[in-house]
Amino acid sequence: MPIKNRFAETHAEIAGWRRHLHQYPELQFDVHETAKFVEEKLRSFGITDITTGIGRTGVVAVIEGKTNTSGRTIGLRADMDALPIHEATGLEYASKTAGKMHACGHDGHTAMLLGAAQYLAETRNFDGRCVLIFQPAEEGGGGGNEMVKDGLMDRWKIQEVYGMHNMPDYPVGEFAIRPGALLAATDQFDLIIEGRGGHAAAPHEAIDANLAAAHVLVALQSIASRNVDPIKQVVVSVCTLRSDTDSYNVLPQQVTLRGTVRTLAEDVRDLAEERLRAVVTHTAVAYQCTAEIDYERGYPVTVNHDEHTAYAADAAEKVTPGVWRDTPPIMAGEDFSYMLNARPGAYMMIGNGYGPTVHHPMYNFNDDAIPAGCSWYAEMVETRLPAA
Amino acid sequence: MPVKNRFAELHDDITAWRRDLHEHPEILFETHRTSAAVAEKLRAFGCDEVVEGIGRTGVVGVIKGKEANSGKVIGLRADMDALPIHEQTGVEYASKTPNAMHACGHDGHTAMLLGAAQYLAETRNFDGTAVVIFQPAEEGGGGGLEMCKDGLMDRWGIQEVYGMHNWPGMPTGSFGIRTGPFFAATDLLEIEVEGLGGHAAKPHETIDTTVVASHIVTALQTIVSRNADPIGNIVVSITSLETSSKAFNVIPQRVTMLGTVRTLNNDLRDLAEKRVVEICEGIAASFGAKARVNYTRNYPVMVNHDAQTEFAADVARSVSGDCAEAPLVMGGEDFAFMLEERPGAYILMGNGDTAMVHHPMYNFNDDAIPAGCSWWAGIVEQRMPAA
Repeated sequence: MPIKNRFAETHAEIAGWRRHLHQYPELQFDVHETAKFVEEKLRSFGITDITTGIGRTGVVAVIEGKTNTSGRTIGLRADMDALPIHEATGLEYASKTAGKMHACGHDGHTAMLLGAAQYLAETRNFDGRCVLIFQPAEEGGGGGNEMVKDGLMDRWKIQEVYGMHNMPDYPVGEFAIRPGALLAATDQFDLIIEGRGGHAAAPHEAIDANLAAAHVLVALQSIASRNVDPIKQVVVSVCTLRSDTDSYNVLPQQVTLRGTVRTLAEDVRDLAEERLRAVVTHTAVAYQCTAEIDYERGYPVTVNHDEHTAYAADAAEKVTPGVWRDTPPIMAGEDFSYMLNARPGAYMMIGNGYGPTVHHPMYNFNDDAIPAGCSWYAEMVETRLPAA
Repeated sequence: MPVKNRFAELHDDITAWRRDLHEHPEILFETHRTSAAVAEKLRAFGCDEVVEGIGRTGVVGVIKGKEANSGKVIGLRADMDALPIHEQTGVEYASKTPNAMHACGHDGHTAMLLGAAQYLAETRNFDGTAVVIFQPAEEGGGGGLEMCKDGLMDRWGIQEVYGMHNWPGMPTGSFGIRTGPFFAATDLLEIEVEGLGGHAAKPHETIDTTVVASHIVTALQTIVSRNADPIGNIVVSITSLETSSKAFNVIPQRVTMLGTVRTLNNDLRDLAEKRVVEICEGIAASFGAKARVNYTRNYPVMVNHDAQTEFAADVARSVSGDCAEAPLVMGGEDFAFMLEERPGAYILMGNGDTAMVHHPMYNFNDDAIPAGCSWWAGIVEQRMPAA
């Protein structure tokens, strides 16, 4: 079975929802209008068991199958939040809010899950219960974690959970997945290198924090090049450098560095943190400075469960033969990881066709992917909870 | 089929050969005694043909099966050379030559392939031809390439080729393999930084090559940390730094650096070479010095072929009941050259809980011999089954 016929019929309608959401992007947990839109649509499909305010602004809805002899419950998750990016697509349905944009395709994810919900509520051709999860704040806010902390999994007795993300530069409507680590743990650090400010013409009377910061930045390269097993993966990037002066003739008292550490395994994550702390502390000391380190562990590694990855890929193969079961891992992070740490499941990538990548001001979700994406969500429910 | 009974009988003989080789390690292409011993044994087993001097000191033996209907010819390869390491095991059959040691188990590889050759020459229970290949200079000399250049594959009509390496840390006699890229390409770096030597008290009148070299070492770290896709596998190591003068008060005219680049695919290999050259030349220029980079592409990535890997794993399972998925290895292996010429596969066999290869306390584990010999024999008998 390829794409479900019903989604050919509802394609234009779902694309319309997507474009509406695209015009009204909301950030982090402030997805009030989006959540309201989701809730209204769900009600219009005849879904009555809807709970809002989970994980602050998340929405959870239940669709009962025509039978429930299995007693099984599956969660399907989409994210709703946008990014603080100024849209440059020039589309007629471009963002109406300056500095906010659906540049990661969460408008498409939300619309596709709504489309699947409409179909599932119409057909209910499954034996069990499907829980729809619309989460806020995927982009750095940990909305997924907030929903889990609000009891999402226990309250709705979710036994397995599936999510999906669009993937630029991959054929539209085709799927890619891998068992095990798919997306990285994303940690972030703030470093303050403290020296002694002074006149640039008398460096010997100062302790140059800029120089210490430069050496710290260079020495941090050795975590990837010397410390981590080359068979494993790590990224250490310093992204921001800021001296507390912006003059031409003053050596700063302090330099702040900010960056991220990406890893695909917990032991590598521990090693990277340990080495970062040691490198920063001692390099600073070598240049007579002190270092303050604020290392914050962000999203954990998104680890697909072997068995559920196979289910997800099998469901995708019912939609299209274009299913890559061993796509390489991606060093970006994803807070669906919290849901996968709470329940077995899998995260699927769906091709967005060729064009700008996510988080780019020219990016746009590809509406041509909608029928395949909706079909996959529906297949997940119908194949994991087959009607008696 | 577990371990073949015949190898239980031969185990002591093969162990004795292995220990004799262990006492008399020879380096690179200088495997004269080893090669002579191998050729003599092969003749004693009644091989149909024994040819010495392939790839300088390599030995090739031919064993014809009792049937020759299939027209198939399979190559089995072992390496014979030792390492310039001073043995510290204290075993009674330890190396008699200072600074030469069988610290990579090639003594065991050679003895096991000899054991398999004896069995195959006795039984000939296969339909085709087995070619046993004993190569010199695996440890950096490219002996495998030399044998290929001497026409190894064409002269004996070899259609598939198999190799084996012992692996410390895996249970003795167990097997592990993986398909596709397996061992790294091992390129060699020689970087010469030329500045302006002078008195250490007058650095401003010099171009200090030690400072330039240090910056180059540091900047080379960014190939891994900034240039290579973090999903890929790459190592860039500077392994030797040498100044042209050895003094407390002279800034050297030249610093020479040696190193290695390890990669598991050719795109990364190309990227690494390009970046090494750019970094060395650019950093040197920024200090007013000059860098000359001699980048030598040494062993290529060793890539196991899918079908032969599956077959090799099947044989391993028939011997040991299981075959693990081996990890990627950033070490190099010049069997890569043979796998570039013919389809085939390379397998790892557990050496038990021993010191790592290239360590002065390492020793090949003789308990692995029956499993290793059985795998070799199984490759021949199962790939070319007698009617």
